[in-house]
Amino acid sequence: MAWGADRLLTSARAAFGAPGADGVEVLITRYDSALTRFAESSVHQNVGRVDGEARIRVVVDGARIGVVVTNDLSDAGIRRAAAEAVEVARVVPADEEFAGLARPAAAYPSAGVDDAETRAATADVRAAAVGRLLSALPSDAVGAGTVETGSGEIGVVSSTGVECYHRSTRARLSLLGSGPDSTGYAEDASGRLGDLDPDRLSRRVADKVQRGRAPRAASPGDYAVVLEPAATATLLQFLGWTAFGAKVVAEGRSPLSGRVGQVVCSPAVTIVDDPTSALLPGLPFDAEGVPTRRTDLIRDGVAVGVVHDLASAHAAGVESTGHALPAPNPDGAMPLHLIMEPGSASLDELVAGCERGLLITRFHYTNVVHPIESTITGMTRDGTFLVEDGRIAGAVHNLRFTQSILGALSGVEEVGADTELATELFFGAARAPAVRLSRFAFTSTTTF
Amino acid sequence: MDLAELADVALTATRRPDVQYADARAVEELTESIDVRDSRVEGVARSSSRGVGVRVLVDGSWGFAATHEPDPGEIRAAVDRAVAIARAGRHVGGGEVRLDDTPPPAGAYTTPHETDPFDVPLAVKVEHLLETAAAGREVAGVSFVEATTDAWRRTTCFRSTEDGWFDQRVVQVGGGLRATAVGEGEVQLRSYPNSFRGQFCCGGWEEVLRLDLPGHAAGTAREAVALLTAPDLPRRRTTLVLESSQLALQVHESIGHATELDRILGMERAYAGTSFVEVADRGRLRYGSPIVSVTADATTPGALGTFGFDDEGVAAGRAPIVVDGVLEGFLTNRETARTIGLRSNGTARADSWGTIPLVRMNNVSLEPREGDLDSIIGDTDDGVLLLTNRSWSIDDRRVNFQFGCEVAYEIRHGRLGRMYRNPTYAGRTTDFWGSCDAVGGHDDWFVWGVPNCGKGQPAQVARVAHGAATGRFRDVEVGMR
Repeated sequence: MAWGADRLLTSARAAFGAPGADGVEVLITRYDSALTRFAESSVHQNVGRVDGEARIRVVVDGARIGVVVTNDLSDAGIRRAAAEAVEVARVVPADEEFAGLARPAAAYPSAGVDDAETRAATADVRAAAVGRLLSALPSDAVGAGTVETGSGEIGVVSSTGVECYHRSTRARLSLLGSGPDSTGYAEDASGRLGDLDPDRLSRRVADKVQRGRAPRAASPGDYAVVLEPAATATLLQFLGWTAFGAKVVAEGRSPLSGRVGQVVCSPAVTIVDDPTSALLPGLPFDAEGVPTRRTDLIRDGVAVGVVHDLASAHAAGVESTGHALPAPNPDGAMPLHLIMEPGSASLDELVAGCERGLLITRFHYTNVVHPIESTITGMTRDGTFLVEDGRIAGAVHNLRFTQSILGALSGVEEVGADTELATELFFGAARAPAVRLSRFAFTSTTTF
Repeated sequence: MDLAELADVALTATRRPDVQYADARAVEELTESIDVRDSRVEGVARSSSRGVGVRVLVDGSWGFAATHEPDPGEIRAAVDRAVAIARAGRHVGGGEVRLDDTPPPAGAYTTPHETDPFDVPLAVKVEHLLETAAAGREVAGVSFVEATTDAWRRTTCFRSTEDGWFDQRVVQVGGGLRATAVGEGEVQLRSYPNSFRGQFCCGGWEEVLRLDLPGHAAGTAREAVALLTAPDLPRRRTTLVLESSQLALQVHESIGHATELDRILGMERAYAGTSFVEVADRGRLRYGSPIVSVTADATTPGALGTFGFDDEGVAAGRAPIVVDGVLEGFLTNRETARTIGLRSNGTARADSWGTIPLVRMNNVSLEPREGDLDSIIGDTDDGVLLLTNRSWSIDDRRVNFQFGCEVAYEIRHGRLGRMYRNPTYAGRTTDFWGSCDAVGGHDDWFVWGVPNCGKGQPAQVARVAHGAATGRFRDVEVGMR
C-alpha cells in the first residue's frame, strides 16, 4: 500500500531537526515490485519486494556535505540517519562546487502514470500474461522473459522549502523465443499493464524465430544497416551515458566537448530528453526536487544542449535542467528519458531502401571503447538478417560491431515512423525509431 | 527485533502443510563509499539496508517475497505473498523443483579482519585519499586524480525448514586511484592497483593501507599523461601477454559465467544469455590448453568471494571447474545440481535480503603454473603486453569477446618496448584458452576482487574474485577500433 504524500513527506521531515545542520534535503522513496520470470517456457523465478529508502543530504558550515541512506523509514530511523549525515559533513572539507539546495518550485509538470489495475496486479495476473506471451511461439521453440509490475512513490523535501511528491506504476513485458537455431526478442513497457499486448509481442517473436532459421555465417566488415528500434535505443543510451552531461562536456571528456552548436551527425537526427513525455515512464522532478523539463540535445544534427544539475548549472551560469541524480553523484547530471524523433518510413520501407546490408534486431553487452570518439563495441543478438536488393535474404550468425555512435548517426539515410521503448539497460529508458545507416563497422563474428 | 528474531518470525510463518521447503534470510548491510577528486571530497555515502526475504517451495514451484518492515504482521504478509506467488507459478507448467540432499547448515562464520572499516574514523579515511590525490596531482599534465575507498559489512541470519541455520558476518573493503589525462582528442586513464575503484577483498581497513595508494599515485599519473601522446595499438594478429588483473577478468567473462549451471540450463536466457557449454560437455570439452586449470573456491583466504555459507546454507568449499584444460565441473546451487544428479558446490548468493539467491561465482581462479611477468616477457620474441581493464564485452553464449585495456607495451626479443594507447584484443573462448602457453607461478598469482558482477532480473550485483597470474596467448587479434 502506498503511504501517500502526507505520510511519506512527514516521515522525511523527521530529518529536519538534525542538530548542527544548516540545511537538509531528503529524497524518499517507497516501492512494491513484483517480477515473474520464466525460462524454458515455465516460471522459474517469481518474486515480490517491498522496500523504501530515505537519502538524507545535510549541509554544515555552508558547504560541508554529508549523505546517509537508510531503509528504516521510521521517525527514529530517519533522525538517526540525519544525525550521522551531520557527523559526516563535519569531517569533510567544504565542497566548492556545492551550489546550495534547490528553492521551492512554482509548479511541477505532470508525468508518469498511476494506474490502479497495475498497482493491484497479482501473481496470477502476471502468470496469465506469461501464458499469452508463450502462446504464438512455434512448437519447436521455448520462451524466456519477464512480466513485471510495480508501484512506487517518491518525494523530496528540503529545509529550503522544496516539497514534491509523485506516485506511479510500471509494467514491463519481455519475451525471448528460442528455436533450434534461431532466436527472437521483443519487449514493451508502460505505466499501465493494460496498455501492453502480450499476444502482439508473442507473434512478433514467433516471426523472428521463423525468419531466423538456418542462419549462415557472415563476414566481418562494413555494412549498411537497418537498426530496429531496440538497437537504435542502445546508441541513444550510450550517448546519454557518455555525451550529454554538462560536467563531462565541460571537462573535455565528451564527444560533444567543444562541439555544442556544431553539426555532429545527420540532419535527420533529433534527440531530446523529456521526463515529462507520455512516451516514457516519466518523473516530474529530479533528485534535488527541481522540476523536470524537455531538453533538446541534438536538433536536426546540431548539438544544441546538455543536461544540468544544480552544481553544473551554477558553474555554467544557467538554470538546472532538472537532471540531478541522487547525491552524492560525482559524475553529474545524466539524461535518463531520451527520445529520438521519428521519421516517416515503415520498417519494410527502410529495408526496401537497402541494396545490401544487415537488419539488426538488437544489441548485446555493449561497452565503451573510446569515449571522445563515441566508439562502442557489442554483439548483435536475437535476429540478424542479410538484406539484398531491398529484401531479407535470410538469417546470419551474430557479429561484433566496433563503431562510433556519432559516426553511425552521420550516415542516417532514413528514419522509421514507429518508435519503441527500451528499458533494459541501466541508463534509464529510451524511445527510438528504426533507422537505416549507410555504414556500420563489424569487426568479428561468432558461431551462432 | 534483531536479525535472528526477524528470521525466526518469518520461518515460523512458513510452517504450514502446503509449504514443502522454506528458508528465511534476515540481512543487515552497511555500506560506505568515499570519493575524492584532487582536493575535493566528491562524496561520502553511507547506507544501511535491513530486511527479511522468504523463499518457499509450494507444489514444486518457488515463491519469494521480502519486506523491509520489521513488523511481525508485515513479515507474515510477506510469507502469504510468497506462497501465493509460488502457487501462481504452477499455472504455466514446467517440472517440479527438487533440491539436492545437502546437509542443513549449523554454524557461525565471520571473515577474518583486523580493523573493521566502519570503526575507522571517517577523517582518517578521507585524509588518506586526499593525500593520494595530492601526490598524483603533482605530475604535470594530469587533468585530475581520483581516489576511492569502499566498505561493506553484511550480517546474515539464515533459517530453514530443514532445521538449518547459520549466522554470518562478511566484511569487505576496497581502495584504488585513477589518474585522468585529457587532451588532443583523447581521454586517457591509468588506475592502481586496478580499474573501476581498485582492488577489493575480504578484510579490514588494513587491506586498504596495504595498497599504499599515496606511494603509487605519481607513477600512475605519469603513465596517464604519457598515454596522451602514445600511438594507438596497431591492428594485427600477434602473441598477447596479459597481466594478472586483466586475465582475472578474462576468467570471469569467458569461464566463470560460461560454467554457471543455471545459465547452461537456460535460466538466464532472456537477459544475460546462455552458454556455449552444454551439460554433456562435463569431462569431455577441451576448454583450454593443458596448463589451464580453474577452480571455484569460496575458502580462498581474504578473497572478495570468500564466505562461510552461501545463501542456501551450503558450506563453502572448493570445486574443480577446468582441470588440465578439460571441463570438469559447473557452478551450481541446490536446484540446478539436483537436475544433473550432483550436490551443490555452494555458489547460490543473493545481493540483499530482498533478492533470491542465484548461481554466482565465488573465487573462480586460474591455477598458477610457473614463471612470472618478467620471465614470460623474456621468453616472448614478438608480441604485446596489455594491462588493466578498460572495457569488456562478450556475446550471449560467451563465445566471442572483446576487451579494452588502459595501456599496452610492445614486446620485442624478450624486452618491453614502446607504449601504446587504446589497446583492445578479441577472440573466441575455447580458441583463446587453447592458445594459452604460459601461466605464471605462485609468486606471480594474485586474487583480484570484482565488485560489480551483474546478473538476474531484478538485476543483482555480486562481489566475486579471481586468482590469476600473467598469461600468454598465441595468435590473438589485437587493435580493433
